[in-house]
Amino acid sequence: MIKVTDLYKKIGSVQALNGLSFQADNGTITGLLGPNGAGKTTCLRTLFGLLKADSGKAEIDGLDIATQTRQARTQLGLFPDPFGLYERLTPREYVQFFAELNGMAKAEASQATAEVLTLLQMNDIADRRCEGFSQGQRMKTALAQAIVHQPTNIVLDEPTRGLDVMSTRVLRDLLLTLKNQGHCVLFSSHVMQEVAALCDQVVVMARGQLVAQGSPAELCAATGKSSLEEAFIALIGTDEGIAA
Amino acid sequence: MNSLIRTLFRKELLDASRDKRSVMAGLYYALGTPILMCLLFAVLLKQLSSTDELFITIENASAAPALVQFLKTKEISHAEESKAKAIRLSISEGFEQQMQQGRPATVIIDADHSDDRLLSSIRRVERALGQYNNEVARLRLMARGIDPTLMRPVDVQTHDQATPDSRGGMFLGIATLTIILTLFYASMNLAIDTSAGERERNSLTLLLSQPLSSLQLVLAKVGAITCFSMLGLVVILFVSKFAYGLVPWEQLGFNIRLNADFMLFTLLVGLPLAMMSASLQVLVSFLAKSFKEAQTYVTMVLFIPLTLSMVTTYNIATEYVQWLPIAAQQQAMIEFLKGSALPLPQLLVSTLLTLALFAVFSFSSSLLLKSEKVVFGL
Repeated sequence: MIKVTDLYKKIGSVQALNGLSFQADNGTITGLLGPNGAGKTTCLRTLFGLLKADSGKAEIDGLDIATQTRQARTQLGLFPDPFGLYERLTPREYVQFFAELNGMAKAEASQATAEVLTLLQMNDIADRRCEGFSQGQRMKTALAQAIVHQPTNIVLDEPTRGLDVMSTRVLRDLLLTLKNQGHCVLFSSHVMQEVAALCDQVVVMARGQLVAQGSPAELCAATGKSSLEEAFIALIGTDEGIAA
Repeated sequence: MNSLIRTLFRKELLDASRDKRSVMAGLYYALGTPILMCLLFAVLLKQLSSTDELFITIENASAAPALVQFLKTKEISHAEESKAKAIRLSISEGFEQQMQQGRPATVIIDADHSDDRLLSSIRRVERALGQYNNEVARLRLMARGIDPTLMRPVDVQTHDQATPDSRGGMFLGIATLTIILTLFYASMNLAIDTSAGERERNSLTLLLSQPLSSLQLVLAKVGAITCFSMLGLVVILFVSKFAYGLVPWEQLGFNIRLNADFMLFTLLVGLPLAMMSASLQVLVSFLAKSFKEAQTYVTMVLFIPLTLSMVTTYNIATEYVQWLPIAAQQQAMIEFLKGSALPLPQLLVSTLLTLALFAVFSFSSSLLLKSEKVVFGL
């Protein structure tokens, strides 16, 4: 479970987070939806404890990221934007490295890596170096890294960008599996179809604040619109950012 | 704590060792420098050991055949102006007559004393003329029945205590300078790649989002870079051993022999320096905003070890400098090669200082990684 309460964060002269609060539950896929510059990335960076909030707090399974940083982080899997792959390592080495960083012993990490590589159907590329990988192969590697240590919470920053249909399907299926296993899945996006198809809960944010939270159907009903896209525009009051 | 550092260290080592270009760029220094130095030494030795015949312009030579003959025995003779050095020795018109009458006969050395390349030749001519003076004076005194030793109230005797090995001071200095600087140059690219490069490739933020402390991360990086510095040191020691074996030392009567004891000693005193060098380069790279900026800063910072090493090489270190890192270690290496007593207090203090600097640099880097500005390059 991820809970964010009244977060404020100023970066330079920009008030990136302006009293943001929301909650993402276990066994749920929560979409963080907002136009460019709404503060999505700042929110996620604060969640990992990379940025310190000026005030307010972010909790992972009830652990305050600011004070119990290390314990909270072991409960987090991160799929970042950009991926942050090591071009000279193979997916197997890369994924195992992160498994060990999250406290797994070598044999255990090796076992978990083999399982996740099979789950993502990556065995054909598992021992090739990452340089020269396609966007889809990179996405899978990053995804394997995020879930190898079986964290309760998985956070994905713009996971569908640049993916073809096949890769998107792999991603979608995996997120649904994770949800059914009881994980808390939080992902930021501005692709409406993706959010509408996948998410149980949608957190709409703009200008560093929560605008609305609810299921896609609830948001459509509340705004009286037929599609999530229309509802989104009605909620944030502008069509800024939709093109992206 | 330790197993996390081990995991991080293994990954750094694996990643860096696959960066063939950076590894090789570092090793080129270790491979190439001793060979270059070997050629340089061969040229220097040739110049030092051969007393070439000195050609000058002698005017009015016919007026002083005895003098000209004497100079010839000192390998100083007349040549056409185009072939001779720009030194003109003019023998006065009345030389012969003045000589016969026992009055001072004038010769003039005409040369540019501000020309450094000419100076040693001028001194050589002056020295030869001085010897001729003494020779003639001695003969004159004897002819008058006076003991010529009267003219020498003080008998100055010089006992040269230089052993053949100690005479090669400058060569030893240069050889040890190239060896010690390897610790800084061999790992430069890797140090920048693992810090500024890691940030530029966006993997740094992902790493820092993992359950680990920034100090663990820094120590693992510094450890891996230290390994590559030490690899450079091993390579340059072996290449130096063979390259310096080819230099024709016998011309000067001393030798630079890098035996196994010296190699072990160098590896031992070099290890703290390698750790300090790695932590310094990582710190500077993190301070820079980009990869390119890091390259510039690290290159600039490497002037500090270069200066400390140069000061030792040319033996101009002040009392204080001899206690500093790099200077003291290099001095110890030189003494070891000469077979003299090691400057142990200096070596001990500078090693402790080196380790203290390593701790300060590593800790500073770990603090930097807690700063949002540094991590995101804001």
